[in-house]
Amino acid sequence: SATVIKCRAAVAWEPNKPLVMEEIEVAPPGAHEIRIKVVATGLCHTDLYHLFESKKKEGFPAVLGHEGAGIVESVGPGVTKFKPGDKVIPLFISQCGECKFCRNPKTNLCEKGWSNERYDVMSDDMSSFTCKGKTILQFMGTSTFSEYTVVNEIAVAKIHDSAPLDKVCLLGCGISTGYGAAVNTAKVEPGSTCAVFGLGAVGLAAVMGCKAAGASRIIAVDINSDKFEKAKVFGATDFVNPTELSKPVSQVLAEMTNGGVDFALECVGNVGVMRSALESCTKGWGVSVLVGWTDMYDFSARPIQLITGRTWKGSLFGGFKSKDGVPKLVDEYMAQKLKLDDFITHTMPLHQINDAIELMKHGKCIRTILNVCPE
Amino acid sequence: TLTCGCIGDKCRAAVAWGHKQPLVVEEIEVFPPRDHEIRIKVVATGMCHSDLYFLVDCEGWSGFPAVLGHEGAGIVESVGPHVTKFRPGDKVIPVPITQCGECRFCLNPESNLCVKVEVPGLSHTCKGQTLVQFAGISTFSEYTVVSEVALAKINDSAPLETVCLLGCGIPTGYGAAINIAKVKPGSTCAVFGLGAVGLAAVMGCKAAGATRIIVIDTNKDKFEKAKVFGATDFVNPKDHARPIQEVLVEMTNGGVDFSLECVGNVDVMRSAFESCVKGWGVSVVVGYTESGEVSTLPMQLLAGRTWKGCFFGGYKSVESVPKLVDEYMAKKLKVDEFVSHRLPLDRINEAVDLLVQGKSIRTVLEISQVQ
Repeated sequence: SATVIKCRAAVAWEPNKPLVMEEIEVAPPGAHEIRIKVVATGLCHTDLYHLFESKKKEGFPAVLGHEGAGIVESVGPGVTKFKPGDKVIPLFISQCGECKFCRNPKTNLCEKGWSNERYDVMSDDMSSFTCKGKTILQFMGTSTFSEYTVVNEIAVAKIHDSAPLDKVCLLGCGISTGYGAAVNTAKVEPGSTCAVFGLGAVGLAAVMGCKAAGASRIIAVDINSDKFEKAKVFGATDFVNPTELSKPVSQVLAEMTNGGVDFALECVGNVGVMRSALESCTKGWGVSVLVGWTDMYDFSARPIQLITGRTWKGSLFGGFKSKDGVPKLVDEYMAQKLKLDDFITHTMPLHQINDAIELMKHGKCIRTILNVCPE
Repeated sequence: TLTCGCIGDKCRAAVAWGHKQPLVVEEIEVFPPRDHEIRIKVVATGMCHSDLYFLVDCEGWSGFPAVLGHEGAGIVESVGPHVTKFRPGDKVIPVPITQCGECRFCLNPESNLCVKVEVPGLSHTCKGQTLVQFAGISTFSEYTVVSEVALAKINDSAPLETVCLLGCGIPTGYGAAINIAKVKPGSTCAVFGLGAVGLAAVMGCKAAGATRIIVIDTNKDKFEKAKVFGATDFVNPKDHARPIQEVLVEMTNGGVDFSLECVGNVDVMRSAFESCVKGWGVSVVVGYTESGEVSTLPMQLLAGRTWKGCFFGGYKSVESVPKLVDEYMAKKLKVDEFVSHRLPLDRINEAVDLLVQGKSIRTVLEISQVQ
């Protein structure tokens, strides 16, 4: 339908403040856009980053949330590949299929998406939301903390009709990011030794990816030993808590592994941890991958590390080309080749989102599922 | 001349007595080769910037007095016990990293960092003092003793006074482009630094089929030679107020596909890395430094750039140098074009000055005559 929808959403009016449940207006989908009824969403650390940590204070007011799943409510002119009722996952990285990045198999960084303006919020004139007379920005082009959202079709993935949306929503970010970092970016090899730094959802998904790729040894590194038990579920074989060591963690890992790991993944987003991860891989052929995100600081390391044969890489969204990759991950979950349920520690309705935020801030959850418009 | 098997054989060598002191051509003693060692008569040697690292750049090295030089070619004079792969008369090039063929790194096709570091060392004395063998080689000497896992046997017809340059600088740059960056046909490359290593990297980019090779140097006199090796665009950072990476990103619609840092400076390394296109750009650190740290924003890596580095161009040394010599003999590799000066051993300090002042690409020092 071509009408404005009034619905409920959690609005971030300003940084460092709780989200407020408001009635918002959601415009009908324009050309090549799709309006989606959001069924469920995860809360990802990047949502909190924008709210609490980012140096960009001008991205407000906004509706956050980028790890969601829902059902197509209506489509705009020119949309042929989606129809009302389709199950979909909105994507914070687009896949237009035509730009030089989409055509290059080595990258997933489509340049046609909204994120070419800036990588956190869509600008005023691209947003579909208003509230109390003001434009509300769409976070990462997705804004899943809303009963309805509007997304360009190049940033929507059509998924398996029977997929449980309150589980597969997690493939909208965290799990795909970590899993893909291991299988696509690091390209973990069978029999190898891996180290994963940080055991939030992204790190656990990276552990899962290392295991799927056949690593024989997966060393999980976290300053919170409570997280080791869950890491074991996903395949971790060794557990290191840097706060309990008297030597730098990269040195300890080198000693544990006869020189260093084959693959190291940083899933925290802290430049000090990045340095440790970069230095933990073996000389000669070691590969370190940055997965965690920050724009606040530079990282530093010694060039002799590169000269002695280490490779440093990084990726966004696990290197998955989004529209192609997400439906396949959903299928893998349906075929029980991929775990998702084990990431879910809490479930609550959208209006309790501030509780979910508190849980995440204090490291007391892995993933909370927020039911937005339950199926 | 040395005679085989006698203790205390004498010859001439340029000895480095201390930091920032001129090299002195002295009479030294060179011991016969021991187990798994080979004594070679050095015919010619290049002078590489790394030879000057402790002499000129970095203070506090405890290795003086030493015989420097590691980019040489010569003829086997005698072999020690258990040496089976070399005989007197063989033409050889010592290599700056070993290849034992047995360690975990030699067995891995992705690495050339053999761990069997065998420095024969303590084979040279002068005025009663032991002389340190630089890089286990020491080619600024008429004779030297090297380990058999650090010596490459080369084509019998190779002109030693030219192929000596395949002992370090040229493989380092050429291999960085071909083996480590893995430059692709049709790609756009950037090479930072136009010393011998950078010029060899340009040569490698061209051999790999790059269609655009942008060279960056603060000394525009170096551009002419870079063109000989295949450079297509020339950028002097001094001509631009903006950071050089911004200039290159603009020139190339987003950044280069491959960049190679051939200077050994951490700020240039950052510029080279940030000059790469997001998504698939690859930057290789070729220039060597042990000091300082590289920095960049994590987003640069998250956006899909890859940062690598290498030593000796990633070549497994003993097996690769002979092949590079063959490529030169088949005219598939340029070496003569790197020789900017030729000097006898006695004038070695002029060669040092030329290199320090950036006025040479490679000076070849003629050490001994070939019979």
